[in-house]
Amino acid sequence: MTAPAPAVQAVGLHKTFGSVQAVDGIDLTLAAGRIYGLLGPNGSGKTTFIRMLAGLARPTAGTARVLGTLVPNRSLLARIGYMPQAEAVYPELSVQENLAFFARLEGRTDRAAVDLVLDLVDLADRRETPAMHLSGGMRRRLSLACALIHEPAVLLLDEPTVGVDPALRAQFWAHFRRLAAGGTTILVASHVMDEADRCDELVFVRSGRVLARGTATEIRQRAGTADLEAAFLHHAGLDAEGRPLAGPLR
Amino acid sequence: MSAIRVLAVARRIAQGFRRDERTLGLIFVVPIVVTALLGWVIRDQKDLMVQVVMVNEAGAPGQRIVDALTAATVGAPDGIEVIATAETADAARAALRDSNGDIAVILPSSLIDDTLAGRRPHLLVITPGTDPAQDGAALGALQGLMVTVAGQLGAASGGVAVIPVIDRETVFLSADADTLDVLAPVFLAYFGYFFVFMLTGISFLRERVGGTLERLLATPVSRAEIVLGYSLGFGFFATIQVIVLTLFILAGLDVPSIGPLPAFTIGLDVQSAGSPLIAFLIAVLLSLGSVNLGIFLSTFARTELQIIQFIPLVIVPQGLLGGIFWPVDRLPDVLQVVAHALPMTYAVDALKAVMLRGADLADATVRLDIFVLAGIAALFVVLAGATIKREVA
Repeated sequence: MTAPAPAVQAVGLHKTFGSVQAVDGIDLTLAAGRIYGLLGPNGSGKTTFIRMLAGLARPTAGTARVLGTLVPNRSLLARIGYMPQAEAVYPELSVQENLAFFARLEGRTDRAAVDLVLDLVDLADRRETPAMHLSGGMRRRLSLACALIHEPAVLLLDEPTVGVDPALRAQFWAHFRRLAAGGTTILVASHVMDEADRCDELVFVRSGRVLARGTATEIRQRAGTADLEAAFLHHAGLDAEGRPLAGPLR
Repeated sequence: MSAIRVLAVARRIAQGFRRDERTLGLIFVVPIVVTALLGWVIRDQKDLMVQVVMVNEAGAPGQRIVDALTAATVGAPDGIEVIATAETADAARAALRDSNGDIAVILPSSLIDDTLAGRRPHLLVITPGTDPAQDGAALGALQGLMVTVAGQLGAASGGVAVIPVIDRETVFLSADADTLDVLAPVFLAYFGYFFVFMLTGISFLRERVGGTLERLLATPVSRAEIVLGYSLGFGFFATIQVIVLTLFILAGLDVPSIGPLPAFTIGLDVQSAGSPLIAFLIAVLLSLGSVNLGIFLSTFARTELQIIQFIPLVIVPQGLLGGIFWPVDRLPDVLQVVAHALPMTYAVDALKAVMLRGADLADATVRLDIFVLAGIAALFVVLAGATIKREVA
């Protein structure tokens, strides 16, 4: 029996911007139907990695395949859901109009899909409200709803829960879990560690490289630390105050 | 009031400018460039060359006048030259209609009788009527010439110079057409172009900096679909704008005095010789180009202020060189080349032909102008598409 094809497969992936090496040789395979946390500080290459998977940036070297297809590939985008860091919604359009717009671009015209995601992000009672009149957290929820509207097979979420209140965040994760159970692969980029335990597997990145990979428990055990933040510092070769473990302070 | 805080605010502004080379350029370089361009256009403008068509209905004495005028203007020493004679006044009108001459002078058969009877003879002078300023300049040159020639003829015959009375007639529009009648086509083109450019440029800039463009590009939508969608969406509003502007220019709805309100007129009530529909088509084509120019140039701006900074570079030169204030063929040679690369030149030319001369699609010039405008709009569509950066088409 052959193993199922990976949802995402990156091989020797590099991306440079001028002299800046944003992604520096990432090899990563993500299985279908699982939730992955891409964790690392700001500027570690998380967003660039996700943008390459979403077809928005071409690798400088190496390859990436999503659902078996080499990226970038436009026809593949109908099967990918992408939520960028920015609140990429139209401020002058209402909540419902934003969703209907992205649904049409994705080839979905059924109103039921809009109603479903509106309930999920708890914006059903705000459907007529222009996005410009929503709070920051509500706009994040709308942005997430736009990424979910076409029921993608791979969901790429860049800091999806920033500004979302804890109760709603719990609902989000419950929904992510349901989606994963249905076969959706979810990659969540975050610079905070407090949601890592909700992921099936974690990928620590720093300076465009993968530092460590495994379940939260495995990573903690390997680092011999009690919490993930300390584990991250350990894998990054830093002490508890963020200084390099080897060599004197500079 | 704290001087330190006031100075802190002023210093903050100076620091911001220091890192915004484009705004610095706008403040110091662009005014010089635009003023230099204006100076170049005005100072190096080619002299007006008035071409006269003569019609002699006054027999042999009239022919002496024609010959004298022709002889006096060989080589156009004073910027006026008799280039042809026509058999009839209608033939002269046809010549002006076909742009074969700037002014026609008809010596009527009553010329000799009036002169012999001691009355001032009447001359009929016909001008195109599409540019009151140019017509006035041509008439002034003609009067100067006639004074000279009348003096010569009077001296040769031992008589007294007789300065004739000039009766005016125009080929297009009416003789009482004013500057507004002539500028109306220009309003239609220029303001439509300007506002559509601003609207699209700022709107697309928001797409770029607000992250929605990137979000769009993460869906299966193609770049071509985005550009065509934009053209259609803004084209719709541009079309409505053109309709409203056309109606306002052409309409003259008199509203009577009501109570303390005095009577007034809604609309400019300008004279239009041609089809408003063709004028509308030309203005829409120009606006479509403007939509995509806005998309294209939004690539080079990071803020809305920077879109506004394109006005002196993109909009103003079109106003100076596009045939709005000065005919393109009187611009210095180099600027004529530039003018022929600007969509405004073709739009103004076509709109003037349609609204002032009554030309329609049978007119080769109008067809060529429309063809070029469509080509420029298509070019801007391609350029706009090329600026939407994406790894897949």
